This record gives sequence, structure tokens and C-alpha cells, in this order.
Amino acid sequence: MLRTMPRYGYQPCREFHVVVLGAGGVGKSCLTAQFVHQEWIENYDPTIEDSYRTQLTVDGRQVMLEILDTAGADQFVAMRDLYMKTGQGFLLVFSITSRASLEELVSLRDDIIRIKDDENIPIVIVGNKADLTDQRAVDRARAFAISQQWNAPYYESSARTRSNVDEVFIDLCRQMLRREDYVDDSRENDPYYHKADDPSSSKRRRRRKNRDNKEHKCVVL
Amino acid sequence: MLNSQPMRSSLQVAPLSIQKTRSGQCDDGSESTATDYYSQADMTPPTTPNGSGTHDEDVLERPPSPGPVFHNYLRAFYPFQPSYAMTDSTVTLPLNEGEVILVHSIHTNGWADGTLLVSGDRGWLPTNYCEAYDPEEMRNLLKALLNFWDLMRSTSVNDTDIFGNQEFMKGLIAGVRYLLDHTDCLTRESPLVQRNDAIRRSRKSLLSELSALVKTAKRLQEAQKLIDADEEINKIVDEMILKAFKIVTKGVKFLDNMNEERKARMPAIAMMTTVMEEVPPTPPAESVSFAPEQMEAGDAGSRCKENRGGPEPAPSDTSEGTQESAGVNKGLSGAYQYQPQPASSTNARRLSQNAPSQGNRLSSTISHRVSLVGPSPLSRRQNLVSERLNACHDIFLSHLGSFIGRLHVQSQSRPQLALAIKQSASSGGELLVVIDVVCAQNSLGIEALIHSRCAMYDHLRNLMRTARDVLLTSGPEMEDVIVPQDNGRLLGAATSCVKATGECVAKTKWVIERIGDFEFEGNCNGDMATFDLDLSALDAIQEVRERSMSNAAESASIAGSSVSETPTASTSVSVTPSAISRHKPALSIDKPLPQVPQTTSPVTEQSAEASHSPQTSRRQSLVDDNASSMVSSVASLRPSLPPLPRISTAIPLEDDYAPTGQSAGHESVEYQSFRAESMTASSSGSASTYLSRDSESSLVSQTSTRATTPDHAPRNQPSLCELSVAESAAVSTIGGVAESTTHDEVEDVESQLLERTYAHELMFNKEGQVTGGSLAALVERLTTHESTPDAMFVSTFYLTFRLFCTPVKLAEALIDRFDYVGEAPHVAAPVRLRAYNVFKGWLETHWREDSDHEALPLIKQFAEFKLGSILPTAGKRLLDLADKVSSNDGTLVPRLLSSMGKTNTSASQFLPSDIPLPPPVVPKSHANALNNWKSGGSSPSILDFDPLEVSRQLTIKQMTLFCSIMPEELLGSKWTKMGGIRAPNVKAMSAFTTGLSNLVADSILQFDEVKKRAHVIKHWIKIGHQCSQLHNYDALMAITCALTDTSIKRLKMTWDAVSPKRKEQLKSLQAIVDFNQNYKVLRARLQDRVPPCLPFLGMFLTDLTFVDVGNPATKTSDTGLIVINFDKHTRTAKSIGELQRFQIPYRLTELPDFQEWLAAQIERVREKDKAGVNTQATHYRKSLLLEPREVQALRTPVEPVSAVTTPVGNGMFGWMRGGSVSQPAQV
Repeated sequence: MLRTMPRYGYQPCREFHVVVLGAGGVGKSCLTAQFVHQEWIENYDPTIEDSYRTQLTVDGRQVMLEILDTAGADQFVAMRDLYMKTGQGFLLVFSITSRASLEELVSLRDDIIRIKDDENIPIVIVGNKADLTDQRAVDRARAFAISQQWNAPYYESSARTRSNVDEVFIDLCRQMLRREDYVDDSRENDPYYHKADDPSSSKRRRRRKNRDNKEHKCVVL
Repeated sequence: MLNSQPMRSSLQVAPLSIQKTRSGQCDDGSESTATDYYSQADMTPPTTPNGSGTHDEDVLERPPSPGPVFHNYLRAFYPFQPSYAMTDSTVTLPLNEGEVILVHSIHTNGWADGTLLVSGDRGWLPTNYCEAYDPEEMRNLLKALLNFWDLMRSTSVNDTDIFGNQEFMKGLIAGVRYLLDHTDCLTRESPLVQRNDAIRRSRKSLLSELSALVKTAKRLQEAQKLIDADEEINKIVDEMILKAFKIVTKGVKFLDNMNEERKARMPAIAMMTTVMEEVPPTPPAESVSFAPEQMEAGDAGSRCKENRGGPEPAPSDTSEGTQESAGVNKGLSGAYQYQPQPASSTNARRLSQNAPSQGNRLSSTISHRVSLVGPSPLSRRQNLVSERLNACHDIFLSHLGSFIGRLHVQSQSRPQLALAIKQSASSGGELLVVIDVVCAQNSLGIEALIHSRCAMYDHLRNLMRTARDVLLTSGPEMEDVIVPQDNGRLLGAATSCVKATGECVAKTKWVIERIGDFEFEGNCNGDMATFDLDLSALDAIQEVRERSMSNAAESASIAGSSVSETPTASTSVSVTPSAISRHKPALSIDKPLPQVPQTTSPVTEQSAEASHSPQTSRRQSLVDDNASSMVSSVASLRPSLPPLPRISTAIPLEDDYAPTGQSAGHESVEYQSFRAESMTASSSGSASTYLSRDSESSLVSQTSTRATTPDHAPRNQPSLCELSVAESAAVSTIGGVAESTTHDEVEDVESQLLERTYAHELMFNKEGQVTGGSLAALVERLTTHESTPDAMFVSTFYLTFRLFCTPVKLAEALIDRFDYVGEAPHVAAPVRLRAYNVFKGWLETHWREDSDHEALPLIKQFAEFKLGSILPTAGKRLLDLADKVSSNDGTLVPRLLSSMGKTNTSASQFLPSDIPLPPPVVPKSHANALNNWKSGGSSPSILDFDPLEVSRQLTIKQMTLFCSIMPEELLGSKWTKMGGIRAPNVKAMSAFTTGLSNLVADSILQFDEVKKRAHVIKHWIKIGHQCSQLHNYDALMAITCALTDTSIKRLKMTWDAVSPKRKEQLKSLQAIVDFNQNYKVLRARLQDRVPPCLPFLGMFLTDLTFVDVGNPATKTSDTGLIVINFDKHTRTAKSIGELQRFQIPYRLTELPDFQEWLAAQIERVREKDKAGVNTQATHYRKSLLLEPREVQALRTPVEPVSAVTTPVGNGMFGWMRGGSVSQPAQV
């Protein structure tokens, strides 16, 4: 339905599912809450339907984000699969004060790639709690190395001071948008292409995708 | 400071400031004015006593430029007898010396629309007979009366939210307390009271008046319970208003006595005061103070002079002169009638750079008290500037809101966007006009206002600019569509605009409150037209706007409404005087003069005016036209009579005015008008006007809350607080109103006044729930004496207090409460009992030895000494409890689940026990299989059991785990911290659910044959279905997750062997526990689900986590106090309560053998988990072995068969771990 639209013409609001993942205690729920929480809402009620829905504009395009955050329910490991399957972009959050939390991302990323069956699934690595500089346990070089290895941008954020909170989500949106464009382009002449969401298409996409055109990024506070 | 200075100062200043207010303009300063005033004595009436000797002091005491302040209360210092005949439209009240008036509005001519507190009569009163009344000691009481009056008038009497409890009485009681406290007469024993008989008596009558009111309030409550009691209620309400007035009257009396006493004790001051008193008290004439300015004023001034010059200028029109009964100098009075007006207008021109433009000038003739009350349509209140401000703000916000909303919508057509922005712009312009008018009206606090006004203006302009950019830049090729490129910018601009506007409006309101409300007659429609250009000209409009706006902004003065007014409107000061003064005299004439000491008769004036210059009438009619909404009767009145008859306008049905005021005493008539007015007010008052008086409420949030009841007006549930009722128990007599109060009652009220309270540190939401408060205030709430505290509040408190204070702090706060309530003997007993009960409940059912033990010594000490000495048995009991608690781990009285969940409605709705348990479905084969397994044989497979029975047994098991979850475990995200050791049951529950998922996957993957796997899948779908029938959503979640897990989902061949019907069934099951849209479906199912039911725990855990991290721990109260964010804890408790609601066991028969097997299976699966294996990955690998990738090539997975027959050890695939799971995929 949307593929017939010219790239820069009128485009409907895209809806993306973003999954926030990370070990417990890294403050990922704070990150989500900060991002979703409109500042003029005095009291945050997480039990309503669009508690985790938010709209933002990325490069002039409207994006509706539904954020899936398993915060608090991480022990229900069995659900993670389902979450990951739904997600189109992933925030991998660790705490710069905990080395172990970074290690945990490794297996999470493996799971994502396995489940999405796609090595280039949009991912942003987030080193949270950047305000706790005196407790830093993961130096930037290390995080940067992983960022390069995974070809995923790395941000250091602080949910407490609200720095780089929006940025990580926006970056992720950019990746998802670009990816969609890429798919759109590559499908332009494919009469049988239906929907980017179709799991089978992701397989093909994976093979086609050229890693080189993906830009690399490291943002540090 | 004990002398009477405050009072004297007000005495001295009052007339001046009143005048200023009247003129609505700022003044140079009182000093020069006053001086001139005297120097011109020959032209003015004899000086008033007030001004004379004390002049210097006055200056010293007051800041040089006090600024015109609207005084809510006046006090007559000279008697006034209206001796003329009343016209039907004029009610002029007689004044006795010392009477206090509640002022509703003040006309420029010096007449005030006010209510005499002594009689409750409302009418016109000459302000020059009065002084402002605002002694420090009385301030709180006076303020409370204002609020009370507004409330009683504005609220529909059937509003049980307000009148269902006595909260609304609190202010008055606190006011009286403040008065007594600050005069050192709080207790009867105070030396002052003992010594001075007059003080003692007036104190007593003050208190008895208060208790009478309290009693009446009780009656009101009673009356509300009656079916058809409207009339009765109205009567009571009127009575209460009168009683409240009386309280203040008595308070005044009391303070007078007090001042006497002080005087007597301070001879020096007494002398001065007496000096003052010796001077014959002649009220100052209105115009006097303006004389100097008149002189200075250009042609306007001379004009005035002319008038003045001929003391009896036009006998024809000053017919009043002849009518003046008292033999005071007629000439003067005659002359003065005209002066005030022109003088003040000139004055206005000159002094305030920012004179309002013509359109608004008229408006300044009356200043009103800013009221909580909505406008009464008949009194044309909608023109009040405060309402205008609110209305404009509302409109502006709604336009901006829809603009912002539009930005969120995906399709924004250009015209729509442009329209929205245009609307925002024009309404913003209107708002600015109003603000400018206010600025122009007064220089009070103007810097701050100008500052925020400029900020708002800048933001608005920025928004316009952005919008223009956006609208212009979008190329012609997309004519109807706007690329959302700049949405962010627009959004940002709009949002900051909202904020800036909110700030600005708040400041403006503050200013209005200070200077008094006044009528606004700006020609707004015209302004709007300027903006109403069509779309194509949008940017042009903006430019126009910008120009005019920046003009306004830059000329430091607000240059009045220039923003939107036509260019001419923003003219320089010099241009106008002549033109204005031309009209002004007329104006002034049309509003009658205040009165010189002797009485002027408005009547005559009226006729005088009537016959007066055509100019006047023209002007008037113009005005009338403008005010289209004016009721015709008012309109007709207005031109003719100056004296603001509007009072009786309040009676909706009467076309002209009943001569209410004529006889001072008819309370009944007066009541009627009260009532009538309150009715109209309440019917017409919009929520937004309700906000007007004191709402500093968060501006931004107003956007959303405006339409609803304002947050800051806590309406408490009846049950919560009968707080300040005169401890109703004691005053319980409901019967006769009885002016005569017994001694007991007086005492009772008296003791009530003594209460120390932290109630002001509590915050409420509009439902009346506590949303914040200091610990002391919360504890006070917990131990309130009047009623049982709200159950939700209590359970929240017990459950969550460790999150916001330490056990020691709580104990201290409770002990403190126990102590300080001793100051209020009449409530001490119940409160102390409650404090004891709180301790008892804590120890008995909410004790957490690990954290609370540190408070134990404190509690023991308290029990032994303090409590023990007052309530020996209670003390002993508490000691016992304390001993037990320390020896006994855990709580003494096991909490019944049902009682824990009592915050929720229907905990008790589980199946009655007489319903027989459903018989288990256990075919022989099941039992055999289990027996076989128990005796060491092979383990039965899941296929051996009936799906219904499996689901039942699962449910029993899970519910047992679920029911053992303690609320403490769910606090502060405990289950996520330290590996969840402090939340063992949460952990057990989630582990079981995960284990179940793994078991499902494992049971499928254990078979090599596609058919068998398909069979197991089908079986699990059936089990899942049974679980959903049982409302066991936790198991359902586990099963569906497992079945849709990648490792299962990818088994294409297996799924091909599952019937489409089953697959459909699975899909519908999945839909139930879908987490999308925040578990929308599941939440809906749970919402009105009656237990037994097993919700998905994970959902609650996520909710609780986000409540925890999404809400700050503290919030700032209106008064700037940082208090506990109790709302956060209430949400937590609510979530936990919801969970507890389901902690009710199913009535199902447990099959021990099956349970054993199940446990063993789960354990088996979990073993692997424990070994540190990523179970998911293991399953996936197994799945790959069963049905390798790109299966299409291979029909059957032959190879792996042997490897998989037995549960696979992880070692075999160990090489795969290490992050390269995806590797095989790339092969």
C-alpha cells in the first residue's frame, strides 16, 4: 500500500515496534519512561493502552512508535522470543557501571538475529547511566569496539538527566526508515512484493542487503 | 508591634488608595498626592481627620508606591444616611460608623457595590466614607470569608461533594484561630482574656458565633439527605452566609477591643490615636487627591478646572445640590461631582504611559473583586477582564491544541494547517490584547508581567514565523499536502507557546487579583478582523501582526491593545488626552458622584444626567452596542443611572429593582437575591472561571484539565473528612439554629481552634484522594478523628510507607501525633486511640521484622510510658505485641487474602464452598501411567493426560504459587533486584511459567516423528484452550509463547500436520494474551473478571515497574513544599490490590500424583536451565536438527533421529554457543 508512494511525497505515518532489551537494573525502563512520558503528564499511568505509544518526527517523517519493554517481566524468558519477533528495531541497553550488563547484550543480540533471521536488523546500543561517571566500569573504547563489531551505533545516555534519550530512539527510527526505503526501492519493480513485514521477505532482504552502505556512528556525551 | 499601627495605616491610606483603584490608574505615590491634597484645601472639602497629622507616618509605613490595590473589605469611619428617596433601581445603603463591607466592585465614581456584613444587605456604598480594612490579625479570616462567600454563592447546593463534608468550613475556623492566636487569646486562660472583660466577652461571642455556624453547617448536611429539600437548603445556605458575616463582625469587634486594650497599655500611642479621634471625621471628598494632577493635566486639566471653578456650575444639572439635606457646603459637593471622573481619566493618561486605548477606557470605571464565582449573566459579568482573560486563554489553547493535534495526524492539508494556525494566531492576539489592557490598567508588578508577556509574544511570533516558513516552502507541486518535514519545529514552537502563554496568563491573573477586576470593553471583534484575512494572505497577516506586535513589545509600555487594535489605537499618549477628556466629563457625570460627607442623592444625579449632554448618552449607547450580551434591562439602566444598581440585577426575573436596600433589615429579600445570584452564577460559571481566583495551577496542564473541575479545589469524599466540623459528636444537636449558644458549644469550638494540624500539607486530586503530603500530614490523615480513614488510603499507607520513610520515622510521626493532639482535648481521645490502632495494625499484620525492628525500641518506650499512662490497657497490649513481634518472625495475624484485597470491590465473590468440586477427569490409563512412573517405570507423556485435567492441575499449581506472593515483594521493583531474593514467590511463579513454556517446547521437540510432534502441538493447543476457559492466563501465556517460539514455529512440516482448525484456535488464544497495545485484550478481560482467575503476572510486574520509575518520589505542593508523591504509592497499591483481587484459589481437586509428575517435568526442564544453558538456543538447535533449514530439499529429517531420541545434553551443541547461533543460517 505504501510502496507506490514516491519517496519524498506524501507518506502515511509509519508504525514501528521497538523493543527495549537489556539486563535488569540497567535503567532501561527509565529510558522508556522518559521517552514516552510527556512532560506535561503529571502522573504516569502505565496501564493504559497507549502508555507505550508515542509519535515523533524523524527527518520530517511521522513515525508512530510502539515500544515494547519487558521491564519487570524479564524473568519470563519465554516471552522474549515473541517480543523479538514483533520488534522491527532494538535498543540494547546496558549500564556503563556494569560490565556484566554489557556481556548480557551479546546473547540478546544473538537471539535477535536468530529470531529475526536478519543480521542487519536495526539496533542501537545504549550505555545508560552516563551521568554516573565515577562509577563507570565500561570504558568507551570497549563499547565502541562492540559497536563496530555489530555495526550498530552506540550512544551513551542518561535517563536521569534525560540526555540522549530521544536521540537513541530517533536513530533507531532512522535505521528503520532507511531500511524500509531500501526495501521499497528494491521492490519497486517486484509485482509480487506484498508487505515488508512478511517474515519471508526479511530473509531475502538479508541476503540482498549490502553492509557497506550502512553508516557508522558513535555518539558520546 | 502591639500598637494599632497597622490599623491606623490603613485608615490613613484607605481613601487614597480607594480612589486610585477607582480610577483604575496608577499613581505617582501617596506622598505627593497627599500633600497636594492639603495644599488645595481651599478647593476641596475640609480635610479628613485621617490625612492630617499622621501623614508622615503613613508614608513611612507604606512603601512609597503602594500601587492601587483593590480592597476586598472597607470599613466605614463615618455614618452615612442616604436621605433621598430610593429609585427602584438604586439601592444605597446606610452606613454606621465601624461597619465592615465586603466589596464586590467599585465604580470609578467612588460608589462601591458591597455587602454590609452586619446585616447582609447589599447595595451601593460611598467609599469615601470608608477605609480599607485589612488588619494583619484579621487577614486570614477575611480571606476565608471571601472564599466562603464565593463558594456558597457559586456552588449548587446539591453539590454533596462540597457540602457532604465540612471541609469548606475549615478556612473560617482557621481564620478565627489565627485571629485569636495572634492576639494571644487562643485560650481562655490567657491573661489578656482573664483581665479584660470586654475582650473576654467579645471573644466569647465570636466563638459562639462560630459554633452557631458550625451547627448550621451540620444542618445543611442533614438537610441534604432529605429528598426534596432544596428550599430548606437554600435557606440554610443563606443563613450560613449571614452567620459567616457575623463571625467576621464579631471578629472585628474583638479586634477593636483588643486594640483598645493595647492602646490603654501603651499610652504614647493612645495619645496619638486620640488625637486622631478628636478631629471631626469628615470623609474625604473623592476628587481631592486628584486635584494636583488635574492642575498639571493639559487641556483636560483646565477643563476640570472650569468645572471646579464654578462651584455651582450648572445648577440645572446639579440638582442634587439643592436636595442635599445636610447643611454642608453645597458648592463644593456640587463641584466635586464632576471632578473625580475627568481628573482620574486625565490622571490616568498622564501617569501611566500605557493608557488603554479608548475602547478599553470605559471599562476601567468599575473594578471588581476577582471572584471564584462565575459570572452572572445578568450582571454583564462576561465583560470582566478576568473572564475575558480566561475565555481568551481557553480559546487560544483550544486552537493551539487543535493545531498540535493536527500535527499529529498524518494527513495535514495545507489549508487545514493554515486555518488552525490562523485561528491560533488571532486568538493569541486577542489574548495579548487582554493582557495589554491589564498592563495598561495598572503598573503593579508590571515588569514581571511585561516580561512574560514579551516571552509569550516572542513564542507566538516564532510559531507564526515557523508556520509561514513551512507553508511557504512547501513547493507548489504538492498543493494540498504538507510534507511533515517541519512538524517537529512547529510542534516545538506550539508547545513552547502554550507554556509561555500559561505563565503570562498566570501573572496577569495575579495582577488582576491585586488591582481588582474591571470591565473590559475592548473592541476585540475589530481586532480579529485584522487577522481574519484569507488563507493566501496568511504570511501577510503574520507580517502585519509582527509589526504591530513588535511595536507593542518594544515600546516598553504595553502601548495598550495595539497589537490587534487598529493602528490608531496604539497612538502615543499625547494624542489622546483631549479626545478622551472630551468624553470623560460626560462619563463622570453619568456615574454619579460619591458623596461628600453629607449625602448626595444619586436620584437627583440621575435626573441630572438624564438631562445632561447628548454626548453622554451617545457614548452610553455606543457602549451598550458593544456589549451586545448585556441584558436589556441592564442596558437601559446603565445609561441613565450612575449608581450601579446592578445589585438587584441578580434577581433574574425582576426587570427592575426591588427596593431591597431601602429597609436595611429584610433579610428575606436579601436572601432571595443571594440565592438567585448564586443560582445564576452556578449555572453560568464555567469551569474556567472557577479557576480564576487563586489558580496558580500548573499552566501547562491546564490545557487538558481546564474543562474539568479544577484540581486545586479538593473535594473530599464525605467519608474522609468531616475534618473541621465542630467535632460533630459534641455539637450534635441538630435542632434549633439557636442564636444562643451554650457555653459548652463555645468551648467546643474553642478547643477546636486549638488543634494543631498539618492538613495544609496535603494535596488532593479532584476525586478527593490524597496525592501528596508530608509525612506528618499523611499520619494525621491516617489518624483523623472524625471518621474512619479511607480504606484505600490506609492500605496504601501500610503497604508502601517503607518506600517513603523509615519505620523509625513513622513511629516518631505517630508518637508526635499522639503528643500534639493533646493540645486539643476534645479530639485527643479518639485520635490517640487511632494512633494506637495504627501501631497495632502495623505490628499485627504489617510488621516486617527485618526492616522494622529498628523502630521497636521506640514503640516499646512509647507503649510503656506515653500510651501506658493514658490508656493503660492499650499500652500493655502494644507492649505485648512488640514483644511477640520481636520473638516471632513474620506477622502475628496472618493476613487473610480477602482482607488484604479489601481495597478492591469484590474479593469475596469466589465460589461458595457448598458447590461441589468438579470431578477430576482421570481415565484409568492416566492413573496407570502415573503409577507406573512412580514405581520407577517410564515417564508418561503429556499425551497420556486429558487436556482439561492438565489445565486444571496446572492451574492449581500456579494458583498456589500466585497466592503466596506477598505484596511486599512487589514494591520498589524488588523482584528485579539482587536476583529477586527478596521476592521469592514472584520468582517462583515466573520460574514456573517459564518452566512450563520450556516444557511445552521440550515435549514437542522430543519426538522425531512429524506426526507425533503435531500431535503434541494439538494437545497443547487443547490444554491452552482449557486454560483460557479456566481464565488461567498465565498458563495460556506460557503455552502460546512456547508454541509460537521460533524453534517451534519454524517446524513447517509439523505444522502442516496440524489441522487448520487447531491453528485457528491457537491464533485466537494468542490474541487473548497479545501484548500489543499494552495487553489491551487481556486487560479488558481482567477488568471485570470475577475470581477465580489467574492473570498473567508479567503484566503486573511491568506495570509496577513503570509506576515505580515513571513517577517521581516527591512532588511540589502549591505552596512550594516538597512532599511525598503519594499518588505514586497509591498507583502501586492499586496495582497490587488488583493483583490481590485474584489471589483466590480455584475450587478444583488436586491430584497429588499428577502434581508430582508435573513438578518433576518442570524440574527436569529447569535443570537444563540451571546448567547455564540458553534453553531457547538449545531448543532452536534441536529444532534445526529436526527440520533443517531450507527444508524444502529434504523431505524428512533422517539424520538427527538418533541424536534426539533422548533429551539432549547441552554438551553436544556446546560448540555452537558463543554468539554464533546465526552462523548455520549463513551456510
